[in-house]
Amino acid sequence: MKISGFKYLANQGVENIWKNKMMAFATFCVLLISLLLVGSSVLFYLNMNSMILGLGNQNEIAIYLDPNTSQADVDTFGYKLKEMDNINTVDYISKEQAYQTMQNQISRGKAIFDYIDGYDFMPDGFNATVVNNDTIEDTVAQIAKMEHVESVSSMPQVAEFLRELRRVVSIIAGAIIIALAAVSMIMISNTTKASVFARREEIQIMKYVGATNSFIRMPFFVEGMVTGFFAGAGAFFITWAVYRSVYRILTEQGMLMRAFGIGSIIPFDNIRLYVAFAYLLAGALIGALGSVVSTRRHLDV
Amino acid sequence: MVELQNVSVTYSSGVDALNNVSLKINDGDFAFVVGSSGAGKSTMIKLLLKEIDATSGVVTVNGYNLNKLKKRKIPEFRRTLGFVFQDFRLIPSMTVYENIAFVLRVIDAPVKYIRKRVPYVISLVGLHAKTNSYPDELSGGEKQRVAIARALVNDPQLIIADEPTGNIDPELSYEIVELLKGINDQGTTILMVTHEHDLVRHFGGRIINITDGEIVFDEVISGVTDEPLPEEELAHTMAEAAGAQPQAPAAAPAQLTSTEDALIDEVIAALTGADQGGAE
Ligand SMILES: Nc1ncnc2c1ncn2[C@@H]1O[C@H](COP(=O)(O)OP(=O)(O)OP(=O)(O)O)[C@@H](O)[C@H]1O
Ligand SMILES: [Mg+2]
Repeated sequence: MKISGFKYLANQGVENIWKNKMMAFATFCVLLISLLLVGSSVLFYLNMNSMILGLGNQNEIAIYLDPNTSQADVDTFGYKLKEMDNINTVDYISKEQAYQTMQNQISRGKAIFDYIDGYDFMPDGFNATVVNNDTIEDTVAQIAKMEHVESVSSMPQVAEFLRELRRVVSIIAGAIIIALAAVSMIMISNTTKASVFARREEIQIMKYVGATNSFIRMPFFVEGMVTGFFAGAGAFFITWAVYRSVYRILTEQGMLMRAFGIGSIIPFDNIRLYVAFAYLLAGALIGALGSVVSTRRHLDV
Repeated sequence: MVELQNVSVTYSSGVDALNNVSLKINDGDFAFVVGSSGAGKSTMIKLLLKEIDATSGVVTVNGYNLNKLKKRKIPEFRRTLGFVFQDFRLIPSMTVYENIAFVLRVIDAPVKYIRKRVPYVISLVGLHAKTNSYPDELSGGEKQRVAIARALVNDPQLIIADEPTGNIDPELSYEIVELLKGINDQGTTILMVTHEHDLVRHFGGRIINITDGEIVFDEVISGVTDEPLPEEELAHTMAEAAGAQPQAPAAAPAQLTSTEDALIDEVIAALTGADQGGAE
């Protein structure tokens, strides 16, 4: 095909949007709603996930070393700990700090501590947070095998609970997203079918004058793609506006933030490009494929 | 060139629309196909356009064996012919110019050629003033002239017309057939289905009568145009000018080229029979 022919077909596609404004608008709306439904559930899921992970990151591993470990060995241990794959942050708790904490925790213990001389009997300790809470038990086991370690502990129930929670949330969200996507596909295919049906005679005439299927489909492809692209853009701006206001409202609630890990809500700026890209791509692709697929049964003449 | 060899068509509903039909139309011919309603004329046209397939027999059009024609070769085949239908089949969202130019765009013709060729065929059918009109803004006769311009823009070997005058005024019918005759003079084969026996009598030529899915008559008769206007025709034309329905002459107006008067009578009888029986 020559460039001129290609240009003609692309122009036809854009012109057709204008000529069939009503149907194009219907397709636009259906695509917009579908993208918003699926897009917002995906974003909701991603945030739930991030929040649960955030909570998990507060899950700490407490490590106590043999009280007789030399300071140099303690430092080396801290360094090694930090180097581990799944370790995120490491807090060193010196013998002295541990002693202070203990004193404070035992409220009436001031007297007891009077009998004790110095704090050398206290172990050096580390509090570590993990990158992935799911494998915290493996990490604990790994640390337990290291030199100088007297005891390692985490709260496996927390990790277990969060892991389970995440699994359930993923399943539910996955099901909802799949259901919404399916409903969207049906809506989109019905709309594009109606739009193509209105022009079936046109398609038939084109077939009679010897147009190939791809020649007939090309304008439909362009038309669907452009409509879908605009729907994607619309969905993006709506999502942006809504997301930002929800984000602001939630993050203003300091208490909620701490309690439910709302601090881990993803700021829109971090994902803006991905969201835009996903919406535009999905819109254009679904729009184009939807209208092309719908032409199929009218082409067989 | 069109050739049917022992062709039968049975629709899935069980109707035998064509029954062992054999027919050959040579390049450059002009043939009328007549017959009562439901006789199978449109079925034959659909067959020639490869809209349907023969149940048995061989169909050859412009050198393509349609029985063996692969699906993806259909567009290539259809580009060798033009079609004109009773219902015009113009694309409503395109102007006259675009409707016609579309045929050339389909074959990826050079833009320069399209710009020259399309106005030329539009002027051939006398619609220069309507170049940028939409089909909705045209009369039936004008629409059909657009359809004819579209059928010939790509210089096809064959033009197939299924009742091209079916939706337009009788007076205009003559113009449409004149137009097709003119195209035929340039060498294009034309096959035209019609119900209008006045037209057939007027123009003459090869007449193929299909009745109940079979060819019952296939002869060349001469039309009134071939000779000086006889009295009846004069009266006919005058009546037409006066706005009256053209009256069918009682007998064949033509000077018979063959001696088979009886056969011609038979056709006329068949034609008149179709007139009465045909629910148009
Ligand atoms: N798609 C179809 N399915 C089943 N039967 C059909 C179909 N099309 C036509 N027929 C039948 O085949 C027979 C021939 O029909 P066809 O359309 O060829 O007639 P025709 O000669 O063109 O009639 P008319 O002059 O009224 O246009 C008729 O009995 C008709 O009912
Ligand atoms: Mg018919």
